[in-house]
This record gives sequence, C-alpha cells and structure tokens, in this order.
Amino acid sequence: MRPRWRKVLSDLIDNKARTLLVVLSIAVGVFAIGVIAGAYVIISEDMSVSYASNNPANIELRMDDFDEDFLNTIRKFDGIKEAEARRVFNIRARPLGKTQWTSIDVITIEDFEENEVNLLTPLSGKEIPLKNEILLEQDVLEKMDAAPGDTLEVQLRDDSIKTIYVAGIVQDSSTGAVDFLAPPLAYISTDTLRLFDQGELFNRVFATVETGQDDDAHINIVLSALKEKIEKNDYEVGRTFRSLTHQHPLETTINAVLGILMALGVLIVFLSSSLIANTLSALLTQHLRHIGVMKLIGGRDKIIFKMYLVLLVSFGVLALLIAVPAGGQGAYGLAQFIATMMGFSLLGYRIVPSAFIIQIMVGLLVPLVAGFMPVINGSRVTVQKAISGDLAGESSEQGEGGANRESRFEAIQFQATRILADRGIRIKRPLLISLRNTFRRRGRLILTLFTLTMGGATFISVFNVRVTLHEYVESVGNYFLADVTLDFDTPYRVSEIEQFAMQDPRVTYVEGWAFSGADILYPDGTTADNVSLLAPPAGSSLVDPLMVSGRWVQAGDKKKLTISEGIYDLYPNLQAGDYLPLKVNGKEESWEVVGIFKFINMEGILGYAPYDYISRDQNMANLSFSYRIVTEEHDRAYQEMMAEDLDAYFRDNGFHVQEATPGLSTLDSAAESLDILISFLLIMALLTAVVGSMGLAGTMSMNVLERTREIGIMRAIGATDIRIITMVLVEGLLIGIISFILGIFLAVPFTYGFSWIVSTAIFETPIDVVFTPMGYGIWAGLVILLSTLASVLPARSAARLTIREVLAYE
Amino acid sequence: MTKRTQLKLATVNGTELIKIEQVVKTFSNAAGEFTALRGIDLTLNRGEFVAIIGKSGSGKSTLLNMLTGIDHPTAGKVLVDGIDIYAQSESKRSLWRGRNLGIVFQFFQLLPMLNLLENVMLPMDYVGMYDVDERPKRAMELLRMVGLEEQAQKLPRAASTGQQQSAAIARALSTDAPIIVADEPTGNLDSRSANHIIDLFTELSERGKTIVMVTHDSTMTQRTSRTVVISDGQLVNETIAQALPLLSQPLMKELSNKAEKINFAPNETIIRSKDPVQKFFMIISGKVDVVLHGRGKDDLTVSQLERNDFFGEIELMRGGKSVASVRAAEDTPVELLAISREDFYWLMGESPLTEKAIGNIVQKRLDEQKQADRRKRKRLFG
Repeated sequence: MRPRWRKVLSDLIDNKARTLLVVLSIAVGVFAIGVIAGAYVIISEDMSVSYASNNPANIELRMDDFDEDFLNTIRKFDGIKEAEARRVFNIRARPLGKTQWTSIDVITIEDFEENEVNLLTPLSGKEIPLKNEILLEQDVLEKMDAAPGDTLEVQLRDDSIKTIYVAGIVQDSSTGAVDFLAPPLAYISTDTLRLFDQGELFNRVFATVETGQDDDAHINIVLSALKEKIEKNDYEVGRTFRSLTHQHPLETTINAVLGILMALGVLIVFLSSSLIANTLSALLTQHLRHIGVMKLIGGRDKIIFKMYLVLLVSFGVLALLIAVPAGGQGAYGLAQFIATMMGFSLLGYRIVPSAFIIQIMVGLLVPLVAGFMPVINGSRVTVQKAISGDLAGESSEQGEGGANRESRFEAIQFQATRILADRGIRIKRPLLISLRNTFRRRGRLILTLFTLTMGGATFISVFNVRVTLHEYVESVGNYFLADVTLDFDTPYRVSEIEQFAMQDPRVTYVEGWAFSGADILYPDGTTADNVSLLAPPAGSSLVDPLMVSGRWVQAGDKKKLTISEGIYDLYPNLQAGDYLPLKVNGKEESWEVVGIFKFINMEGILGYAPYDYISRDQNMANLSFSYRIVTEEHDRAYQEMMAEDLDAYFRDNGFHVQEATPGLSTLDSAAESLDILISFLLIMALLTAVVGSMGLAGTMSMNVLERTREIGIMRAIGATDIRIITMVLVEGLLIGIISFILGIFLAVPFTYGFSWIVSTAIFETPIDVVFTPMGYGIWAGLVILLSTLASVLPARSAARLTIREVLAYE
Repeated sequence: MTKRTQLKLATVNGTELIKIEQVVKTFSNAAGEFTALRGIDLTLNRGEFVAIIGKSGSGKSTLLNMLTGIDHPTAGKVLVDGIDIYAQSESKRSLWRGRNLGIVFQFFQLLPMLNLLENVMLPMDYVGMYDVDERPKRAMELLRMVGLEEQAQKLPRAASTGQQQSAAIARALSTDAPIIVADEPTGNLDSRSANHIIDLFTELSERGKTIVMVTHDSTMTQRTSRTVVISDGQLVNETIAQALPLLSQPLMKELSNKAEKINFAPNETIIRSKDPVQKFFMIISGKVDVVLHGRGKDDLTVSQLERNDFFGEIELMRGGKSVASVRAAEDTPVELLAISREDFYWLMGESPLTEKAIGNIVQKRLDEQKQADRRKRKRLFG
C-alpha cells in the first residue's frame, strides 16, 4: 500500500473514538432516513394492496332490518357488483371469570365460505366459526385477554348471561376502518344469532360497485340511487359510508404522519451533517501539522484533498455498513407497527430499493458535503501556518483587526465582567473560564447549538402537540358531557325514565334525546353525504359546542340546525343563516344552518336540532330511546360504576336496556389512536435529541482535546480534579442551557407547524394550539442530563491528563 | 501596598527545603525503555537561586518535573519542606503545588481566554487563598511589581513575549509560594527581556524565595547563587562544574565518577613544599593557604584559595616538585575533590580548551609566585 493510503488507513484506525463518533454521526442520519423512507414505501405499497386484497365494500349502508329477499333486490341493482348483508349489534363480553365488560360490535356473516366483501384475514385458530362460536378481531385483544379456545361470557338484553367459545382471531382491514370511534368487532355465523336473542334479519349492506371502484363520485352516484331505491321500499337508511377499493380510509392520515416523520428524518440528516462538519473540522485542525509536513515534502493540494476525500468516503462507507441493515430492519419494524395499529397486513419483509439508494446517497454525500469545506480549507493551508504551532486554529478567536487584538465579542465579555465586578458581582475565574470557553469556538458552538436546539424544539413541540390533540379530543368531549348514556331498545316516556333515574340519589339530572338522519343534497338534488342529527332538549347543558360561527340551537327552532365543520367539504362557502337542502325521511327540505361547530370530521357530518322539533317530526313527542344522565361525580371510575348500576337498575325494573355507556369512554379509541401517533413523534424527537447530545459530546471532546495544554497549565497552578471536571461540565451545561432557551422560542413555530399538519390530517380541521409546561420541564431535565452525560467523559479524560503529557517539556 | 497585600516572604534562609533522594525516572515506549534520571541526589536550600543546566535531553526538565510533582519518579523520593509529594494523589498534589510552587514556563502558558490580571488571580481561586475581594488587589500589586500595571486588562496575545513572561512570574507569585520553578524562562525572550526576568528572579531570591531555574544557557549561571549541571540523567559534581566550566558536560560527568573526596583539618598540610605532587585538587568547601617557606618560621602565604578553586596543577603541568606548600586554612576544615595524575593527564588530553585555560592560570600563578618570591627576598636581604 502506498504510504499516503496507509496514512488514511491509520487515520481511520488510530483514533477509534473519533472514527466511531464520525461514523455514528453519519449512521444516525442514514438510519433515520432509511427507516422512514423504507417504512413510507412499504406502507404506501402494502396498505392499498393489502386493503384492496380484502375486497373492501365501496358502499356501506346502515339501515332498518331487512331479509334475504331484499338483499337480492340490492344485488340486482344497476351498478352493484357484489352485495352482502350483515347483522351488526352491540354486546358486552368478558372472558370467563373476569369482571370487566368490553363493548363489542358483533357482525353476523351469512356465509363465511361464500363471503366476498370485506374479507377477513385469519390470524390464529379457526377461519370459520361454528354454531355458538365467535371470531374476534385482533383489536379486541387490546381490551381483553382472549385466545382461541377461551370462553367468553356475553350479557344479553334480558340480562341473561350466555357463554360463547372463541374460535379464532382475525384481522378485518375493511369494516372498522371507516369508523374512528367504533368499538372493536367480532364475527358469528347466522346459526349463533339465536344465542344472542337476535332475529335472522340484517341491518347493514356491504356492497362493491361494478365499475369505478376508485372513483368516489361514481360510487356516490350509485349509492344515492341505491339509497333512493331502498327508501322507496320503506326501509330507512341511517348512515352511509363510501370507500375506494385501493385507498385505505386512513391513508391520508397515515401519509400525513409519515410525511411528518420524513420531515423529521430529513431534519436528523441535516443535524447529523452539522455534527459531521463539526467533527471533521476539528479533525482537520488536528491534522494541520500532518498536512504541513506532507506539503513540506512535496504533497500538493490536490493529493491532500484526495486523501481526505477518501477518508470522508471511508467514514461514509463504515456508517453505511451499520446503518443500511439496521435501517432496513427498522423500516420494516416501523411499517409493521403502523400496519398493526391501522389494521392491515404487510406483504412481507423486503429491501426497498429506493430507500436503499437514498441511504447510500445520504451516507456518501452527507460526509462529503459536510466535510468539503473543512477539507478544502485544510488542504489549502500554507506550510508555514500548518507547522507554526498554531494548531488550534485560533483564527476564529481573533478579532477583525488582526491576530493580537481582542475581538468585539471578547471586548463585550470583558466589559460585562467589569460591569458585574463594579456592581459587586464577582465571577470567579474558574467559572469565567467555563463561560469564555463556551464562546471561543463560535462556529462549532453555533453548529452544536443548532443541533441541540432543533432536537429540543422538536421534543418540546411534540409534547405541546400531544396536549393540543388531547385537549381537542377532550373538547370534543364537550359534546358528550353526560356521565352515562343509557340506550334502550324501545322508546320510553322521558318523564318515566327521569323519575326512575332520579330515585338513585347519585343521579342529578336526566335528559332524553332524539336522533334522526338526513341526506345532504347538492343544489342539483343529488345526494352529497348524510348527516346524523342529534336532538337534545333546547338549552341542554350537556353539550358545550366549539362554535366556529353562528349560534347553537334554540327552543322553537324549526327546520334549523347547527352543523359540524365537515360540511365545508361539500359547501365550502356555507355561512350561518344559509339554507341547506336536506332529504329528511324521504322528503326534500330546506333547513337553515344557524351555526357551524367543530368536530372530528372523520366521524362524518354531525348536526344538532332541538328535541321538540325532531321528536314531533318522528311522532315520538315526549318519548326517547336514548338518555343522558348526569351523576354526582364525573370521574372515569365513577362513571363506569354508575353505568353498571343504572344498567342493572333499569333491567331489574323491566326496562329493555340496550347499553349503558360511561361518558368518558366515548373518546377512548380516539385518544388511543392519538397516543400511537404521539409515540411516533416522540421517538423521532428523542432521536433528534440523541443526535443533538451526540453533537454536544463531540464538541466537548474536541474542546477538551484542543485545550489539553490549558488543562495542564491549570493543573500546574493548582487546579484539582474536581475543578477540571467542573470546568468542562459547566461548559457543557451552559451549551445545554443556551440551547434550551433557544429551544423554548423555536418550539413555538414548531408546535404551530406540527399541530397544523397533524390536526388537518386527523381531524381535517386546524385546531387551537395548547402549550404545556411538561415538554419544557422534561426537556430541561433531559438537556441537563444529556449535557452532563455528554461532558462527563471528556471531563474525566481531561482530569486524567497528566501535566507532563500536556506540557511535553522535552 | 497595604499591609494585607504585602508579599509574605520566606524568612529562614539557608535551611534545607527540597531534598531529592535517589530519584530514578525511566520512560517506556515502543522503542524500549529509556532512563532519563539515574539515581539523582540533590538538596536545595531556602533562599537559593539555583540554575539547573544541561544539554537538550540531559534530563533537566525531567528533574524539574520531579521536584514540581508534575511527573512521577520510577524510584526514589522527593521531599519538599519535609513532605513526600508523591505520597499524595495527583489531584491533591495539584492543590499542594498551587500553594507551594510557582511555576514559570518557557512558553509562558497563560490562559488565552483570561486577561493578564485574571490569569494572575486564577491560582488564588484554585487554592482558595486570600479573600475574594483581596485577590484582584493582590494580583494588581504583583503586576505592578513586574511592571505590567498598565497591561493588566490585556489578553495574553495582545502582550509582548516579555510582558507575557513577566505576567507568568506574577502568576507564579500569586499564592506566595516559597518556591519558584522556572523552565527555560528566558528561552523565548530577547536579551533585554531575559535580563529583566533574571533581575526579577534575583530580587525574589534576595527577598527569600527559593528559585530553581532550568536553562541550557550556561551564561545565566553567572547570575545564580548555585548551579546544578545534569548530563545523561546524572548530576555533575558542582565543584567540577564550577572549577572547570570549560569541560564538556559528559567529561564533567565522567570526572565526577573518577574524583574522590578528601577532608583536611584546619592547618593540616595538603602538599608539602619540594615533595612530588600526585593529585589535582578542587576545593568543595573551606579555604586553603599557599605558603612559601622561609628560614625558620618565616613563611609567606602567597594566596588563599576558596570554594571551587583548584591547585596542584602547576606541578602536574610543568613537572617537578612542589614549589610551595598548601595547607588547610587555620580556622576551617577543608573538603577537597581530588583526581589522580593519570586522570588529570587524560582530562587535559580530552579537553584542549581546559588545558589551555589551566595553562594560562599556571602561568599567572607562577608570575604571582615570582613576584611574591622577589618580595620575600627583598624583605630578607634588603
């Protein structure tokens, strides 16, 4: 090997700690971008394929009970390719011997073998349940411990408890995907309906269209026509949903999340490149003498440039060796995690060529770009300068006026010290050294601060976004203020239920609500979407809406409603006071929109109208199926207890209770989904924080390395180990604290940016940003911890230096 | 100068302060082992201004590192004011050093981020000496002493090299350490600045500080009270170094090994007149009288030789018998270093410069004796 390449090799091998630092700096960025790019590609490819492979229904109709004959009518309808009927009902179930009930939507499939729409993917156990057997969707397992072979207890309407055998676990990517707040699902055959005291009738239609399966407008046309036909047959359609065959309903959300992750990945690459630039610049400074000697004996700029370029590429290759395999595994792991959470399957582990290429490009280009300037500067250095002994490159510390004058920044520092001293505040020299050392290498300090501040700001804003989202979900809870929602199978007189409920001294207030559904029509009369109309009594205190414009419903409102923001998708310019064409109970009417409020748009369009009007319209004046009950206390545990007690109480008194739900549980699944998203963001934030602290550790090591001579002097004039360690630690901490302060400010735009992206992706509406001290507090603790950790090793090695080593007399 | 900031100086001069006993230092590296110090014994007294001289690589800085506690001896002990400094941990030794030693480096080694005043204050901060409010006053006082009052707020790099070294001396004095150790303090200075620094050391030595200065410049030894020569890790006998300064250091070292010490009581005869002379003598301590004999008791003392003088060279160089008697002075015993006739001739062969210098001295002494002889005859015969 030629001596010059032997030198490059020894530069790689001799200082293993430095090589490791550079390689890890590159590897972190390459790994992050590999994980995210790989996961992005895997999910984008697999999500639609996996979703489409289950032949998802393009149309879902929730309607009155119907029979097989009517299903055949639907099947024959023009434009419908396949149609299957299901009976869906809610039960409460728990594993045998357990006390905690779980609400489950049971789906009855007419014929598992002939099932063609919304296919199930068997995960374990049997694929087809026999009589009195049930298949559980994997989401159920998050709520209860159950496995094939277990027995579940099921509570029926008459309070009787039956047992059912768990036959298998399946994954259903299609059925629940559209409903963000839906309970988990389970599947039975029609043979089992009797066990649940259910008739052999259906209440949902899942259908695919013949053509245009990925054309929402076409599906809507078919759906509208089908709905009209169904309603002409005196069946009422409650809600309708549309889905494209090759687009997972949550695809935009997932893509938004991946987009944020990608942005963070790019940020990490960016941060790691500043770390690399820092380390390489220090390396080149240390190598100035080598460069000087090489030039002295005939080395040209070009040769030296080439040598260091090869060194940079070698760092990149070493980083790739670590980061590419780890990134590939990480990408699949992340994709698998997201797929499990979102309920779809991946097509299997594979190397993603585009991610692979991106990693190689980043791994090779980043060190080249980051190290280019240091290498150019290093190779151009004059022999005189290189071997003059001014190896610390103190030029950055020199003032504009020349080598021997103090810079403006130094003058400010001295002035500040004098002003403080004049006021009796004397900063001791050891602390002064730490303070001034911090600002000596300003280029390096800026890069370090940049890295650490970005990490900190991301970290803090992730916490803010978390609270922002939770606050929003909680504010959505303002629509569900009752402590218990009591639903009956048959309507009861409001006064009767009120009287019964109030007999329990813990119940303070009862309201009976009415419900209705309506189609929202386009001006040309075609159906645009449907709206669920909730009808609380006018002036109800159990809804505290987040109004966007207009007012809430009032007593005496007729054909007036407030509607959720989702209406803007159909009528972007709608304002309070405008009239909206609706089809209510088959009749086209014009309703005045008196107000628009915020809600989770993914849940569909929601409207409110006064109880008096809706109940009369339904010929159900003073009657209601559904009651909102307020109790003495409002915490989660109390609500659950009251739900159980009221459920039992009304059943005992002969009422047909369908379900008693604790109020806060309504938002459970929404909050859980948010937590998954937040945990992704947090992982990325931690990764940026790790890159930041690696940057700090590198900077502190380089600082200590460059200041060994000064440390030796300090030891020579009386500095003990603890003094030296403290000096380095204080410098590290100071950098940490400065970055924290900068991070506080930078976190503000970050929080707004992240919140906007996430909320528009999930809720389809921008939401009010909330700031929490938690992120700031945790980051303050973390940055102090990271700064200390990043400085401890350099500080210890500084204290271990013997004076002879650093002063090198002879 | 206020009472509190007045420099407290060592008061008991002449007593033993630093004792180096059988110190060996061996360095190991890939090429093998290298012994830099080979069993050094050295005692330094309070108030001495000592120069340690030696060629590059002779071990002088290693020796300095040993007595400052900067490096660790492979064997042997270093006692400073009775304390075995290597019995302490490195960290405690740093603190001890801050309180007991002021170190002046060849390259000044001021901390670049602190101005001169702050640099001087730093050791006081490290060892916790003087009140916090007292420190700037004392530092300014020291800077005034070294002539840097006007430069106090300058950064080291804005000061001249001479000013930097003066500031380094002020820093070395800041904790009022009794010992000042300087490693080539003038090595990087022009002659004017170098003289200023040596003046400062002389003044400090006069005020009771013990100054130990490493230098390769033998002319500096003219200003010191004592010179220690080191060659190849061994100390050269100080008497040889002083008596025969033109010898090369390896020759000095070799001669140190050949020479023997002889003690004489007061008035005891060392060389008898007209006896053959077999040895060359150098005076370690005490005095000797050179005496011409007259009739009866009428002897004439032609000269009195003191520490670091030598005798016996006339007869060894010219041959023949002793022209005068040499005896220990009446009031003090004398300690001599003697080398044999053969070794003396070997030495003259090895060092023509020394031979020439001694030749000149022989001629000078013979001239003095002739004159003394004439004076004696005149007195005897009129």
